[in-house]
Amino acid sequence: MVDPNFIASLLASSIRAGTPLLYATLGEIITERSGVLNLGLEGIMITGAFTGFAISLATGNPWLGVLCGGIAGMLLALVHAFFSITLKANQSITGLMLVLLGLGITGFLGRNYIGEVAYYLDLIKIPVLSDLPYLGEVLFSHDPLAYLAVILAALLWFILFKTRYGLEIIAAGEKPEAADSMGVDVDRVRYISTLFGGFLVGIGGAYLSLAYAKLWTEGMTAGRGWISLALVIFSGWMPQRAIFGAYLFGGLDVLSFKLQAIGVGISYHFMKMLPYVVTILVLLVSVIRKRAAFGAPTALGTPYVRGKKE
Amino acid sequence: MRDIITPIASIAASLVVVGILLAAIGINPLEAYAVMFTSSFTSKFGLAELCVKTTPLIFTGLAVAIPLKAGLWNIGAEGQLYMGAFAASVVALYSNLPGYAMLPAMFLIAAIFGMGWAAIPAVLRAKFDLNEILSTLLLNYVAIYWVEYMVYGPMRGKEVYNFPYTDLFPDIATLPRFFGTRFHLGFFIAIIIAIAIYYLVNKTDFGFSLRVVGANPRAADYAGISRQKVIIYSMLLGGMFAGIAGMIEVSGIQLRLRPLISTGYGYAGIPVALLASGDPLLVIVSAALFGFLYVGGSVLQTTYSVPVAIVYVFQSLIVLFIIAGQSLRRRG
Repeated sequence: MVDPNFIASLLASSIRAGTPLLYATLGEIITERSGVLNLGLEGIMITGAFTGFAISLATGNPWLGVLCGGIAGMLLALVHAFFSITLKANQSITGLMLVLLGLGITGFLGRNYIGEVAYYLDLIKIPVLSDLPYLGEVLFSHDPLAYLAVILAALLWFILFKTRYGLEIIAAGEKPEAADSMGVDVDRVRYISTLFGGFLVGIGGAYLSLAYAKLWTEGMTAGRGWISLALVIFSGWMPQRAIFGAYLFGGLDVLSFKLQAIGVGISYHFMKMLPYVVTILVLLVSVIRKRAAFGAPTALGTPYVRGKKE
Repeated sequence: MRDIITPIASIAASLVVVGILLAAIGINPLEAYAVMFTSSFTSKFGLAELCVKTTPLIFTGLAVAIPLKAGLWNIGAEGQLYMGAFAASVVALYSNLPGYAMLPAMFLIAAIFGMGWAAIPAVLRAKFDLNEILSTLLLNYVAIYWVEYMVYGPMRGKEVYNFPYTDLFPDIATLPRFFGTRFHLGFFIAIIIAIAIYYLVNKTDFGFSLRVVGANPRAADYAGISRQKVIIYSMLLGGMFAGIAGMIEVSGIQLRLRPLISTGYGYAGIPVALLASGDPLLVIVSAALFGFLYVGGSVLQTTYSVPVAIVYVFQSLIVLFIIAGQSLRRRG
């Protein structure tokens, strides 16, 4: 029953399916570390997916597509940043509206792109290593963005925990008053983190349409934004742990597909339900265990108003 | 003092942004808006459709407005609606109740299922302080896939070939229609319930504690009002309205259960409630406005083949503009 070829191809596709989740999770980790809760991932991802696809189709350059997907994500994140940082509005509702906005705009503009064939990201087989039995397929035969995601996770870990700028981000998310009195411009740090986070989430979306699914369909994110939100909690706001979580959830996604294909009788509709149920359970576990012990930034979701004591 | 400038300015600003989007795909926005207007208001059928779309929005508007009075965001009206529709359909198709009991039974069971679906996030919020925005939202997907599963599987009808539908409801399980249009009894039920809720909120003890908890949780503690109770009750009430919306939709319009019985009515409840600033009577008015957007949206689809997704853009923009307006006023 356990065929090594099956396992190898399952693991390889888990990495591909997990990569968009990884980008989105990393983006949201950076955003949340600075104290801003952006629930709009689903809308930002779909916007990145559409923009990436449309630009790749128009220019013939998938890399330009990826870049523009990231920029589109950043623009939506800018809306969120403006509302939650400058206007100090309810962050949950604004984030949620980004989902509606993203799904709406892409559904509206994206209709004529369904069934089109754009230019996609090619695989890079790393010489020698990719010829290794099994391991080569699993680890060394991916597209560049998949490799980049892992490097990025390591880089973000380094920036967050080993540099002064990372310290400022964490301070803005933990104790904004203290950060402010240390001379950190809290609003500025939060703006930058939210925009950069949106950029990564947008790239995660572009990865979906340009490397993973290789097509555009309305609503193609299919809940991946929500899963990424749960993965942020799951990874305890640590970039390095996000790698594991993203591939695990990517693997679940692939596994359900493969089980379906070989005729294991789990209803398709229940499989679609699963990510949402898992997300609720992850949230539940995270609130039952103490928030601080679990690693959530203390000031997450609270606007910072200078000189206001709670 | 009621703020009327913010909602009106928000609607205007959203019309402008959507107009730009329409222009971007080569449609004259003024012409499109004119078509939306004439098709809804100048014929019997247009007006009937307006009421048809307004009906579920009154319910989902209330489903958001009541918990919001207590400071809770019910983003789950969509899922509660599906659960209500599912439960009502089970009764309609399998219960063999006599005619006089059928509709009341469907109404009741839909209310209970909507409430039950809202009870999950309500309890999680009251006991564990779990963010109700996320939990209600995630449960929507669960409910929608549940209905999908049922109509693709156990509840698929015998006379529907391979479509994922149930069979048509028996006549006794459908709401009466009038004027040879789709206009049905549900519209009046919605209006009556909205008026009843207006009294509940403004003239009863429960309404009072609702408003206190929403306005000032600490004052509620001093006044001896149990916050947990109010959280749970307001959410249950909200879920009940959404569940009823589901029953009204399947027995008044669809006449069977199928996937996509609601085109985002639950989500539209959010701007409906916000625009009405939570006032149950104003919910009727703002539901009518969004009903107009729905009718207009589908007219745009048939006339210019503009995807109905434009309605979502409208909704999200209106909410964002209202929030911006409120924040600016608060600071201003």
